[in-house]
Amino acid sequence: MSVFISLLKKELRTCFYSPIAYVVMFFFWALTGGNFIWLLSQLAHGESLTIATQLMFSGPLLTFALPVIVPLITMRLFAEERKLGTLEALLTTSVRVPELVLSKFFGALIFYIVLWLPALIYVLFQYRLAPAEVSGFPDMGALQSGALGVILVGMLYIAVGLFMSSLTSNQIVAAIGGFAILFGSFLGMMYMAYTAQNPAVRIVGQYYSSFAHMMDFARGVVDSRIVIMYVTHAVWFLFAAVRVVESKRA
Amino acid sequence: MIKVSGVTKKYPARLAVDDISFEVGRGEIVGFLGPNGAGKTTTMRMLTGYLPMNSGSIEVAGFDISKHPQEVRRRIGYLPESCPLYPEMRVDEYLKFRASLKGVKASARRAKINEVKEQCGLTEVGKRIIGQLSKGYRQRVGLADSLVHDPDLLVLDEPTVGLDPFQIRQVRELITTLAKRHTILLSTHILQEVEAICERILIINEGKIVASDTEENLHRKLHACSIIEMEVMAEQAAAIQKVSSMEGLDVRNASELADGWLWLEVEADSASMRVELFNLAVSEGWALRELSEQQHSLEDTFVQITRKKGAE
Repeated sequence: MSVFISLLKKELRTCFYSPIAYVVMFFFWALTGGNFIWLLSQLAHGESLTIATQLMFSGPLLTFALPVIVPLITMRLFAEERKLGTLEALLTTSVRVPELVLSKFFGALIFYIVLWLPALIYVLFQYRLAPAEVSGFPDMGALQSGALGVILVGMLYIAVGLFMSSLTSNQIVAAIGGFAILFGSFLGMMYMAYTAQNPAVRIVGQYYSSFAHMMDFARGVVDSRIVIMYVTHAVWFLFAAVRVVESKRA
Repeated sequence: MIKVSGVTKKYPARLAVDDISFEVGRGEIVGFLGPNGAGKTTTMRMLTGYLPMNSGSIEVAGFDISKHPQEVRRRIGYLPESCPLYPEMRVDEYLKFRASLKGVKASARRAKINEVKEQCGLTEVGKRIIGQLSKGYRQRVGLADSLVHDPDLLVLDEPTVGLDPFQIRQVRELITTLAKRHTILLSTHILQEVEAICERILIINEGKIVASDTEENLHRKLHACSIIEMEVMAEQAAAIQKVSSMEGLDVRNASELADGWLWLEVEADSASMRVELFNLAVSEGWALRELSEQQHSLEDTFVQITRKKGAE
């Protein structure tokens, strides 16, 4: 356990030492700001406050940005260790591979959550500005499930990105690979879920479209099948990454 | 300390290590030599449990590496080939991180880190960022890292590569002082290094161990006869004839030097035959100004061993 804590600390430290973290934060926070302005304009056009809360977590600016942003966070994780040769130094101590993979996963997840923190400030802002006669605002249930959705989607995306990073010693390749898978499946599943004619295709799309899921979560709908899908798929990718790190060494 | 028996490692395209066996005793300093691509790094990686082997077994301090990898790793301090470090960390930070990974107890960590920093001459640079240190200092950080958990065995893969002569000497002195407390297996292709530090030499070529002995024994085995050089004031043809006629002596080379002296290279059954040559010079009335045994360099020996096996 103490080894895991040391690894996690190191992971966070490296993350915040690297300029890429600040570039990612800058862009994502700019997007959350843009999302908020857009949400205010929706309110100005007579949209209800509940809809506005939903858009906090599922605004298209953010949902479309995630498959691009997450590979930028995860590309470093294993590719850099391979490039520097430090993977060899790590794996010749008593560190176990699953421990290493999990520490990198949680390090990235914590950074991802930091990225979403400004959203809370905006919620507070909305709350302060809401007219006194509006009751039941903010909708805490919707906020919580929206946050849950954000974390679940983040877990799967990070696991995919981490897996891609474990395959190569080149960060660019890891980033582009992760981006291709995440953005490709994001668009593909969205198409299947919303525009495909064949009902079977549509159902598959609805199971996998993270765009649709984030909308649902933001509305306060927590579907246990979807929760299980995200958790199991994330675990599967992490397991695959463990196997890759264990076998691909030279 | 180390017992390697029948270890083979195949890469998809080639056989990197072919059925090697060797042992290293406790407290020994062993130099691991071989041309580039001979299998040194692969062997060391298997020894430290980084690479799995295809067949054979490795025991370190009595623990089989495939059964108790953690026990083995705890006892090995390993400095990989390129001395990998995190450039963004500070020296203290890095050593603290590594110490915690290697299971050094939190209460003992600070003292232990100070000790290895002292040993490796890093006390002054603890607060510096590793990426901004010179190559020599980085190498020392790597060494300090390999020492931090007080391992029984140090495995150093080319610890002086890329250093300037002054740094090489410092690292070498450091390794020599470490030898008092640790068993050391050291790979290099700088032969002077081995001559300076190691008690025993292992030579690997094309994945096979081709020699394992002390330096003198290696020379002795390879060079059955000694070469004696002498410079005398004598007439060439007569001198060659006289020397060659003696039992156990044969002139290999002779030439007239610019200042009129005669230089002879004599093959002798043993180096002690210099006495006979001296007596000959005295009895013939030759003036003698040089009479010495040619030293074989480790380089010659190394080239001869690796080439001989390569040609087979």
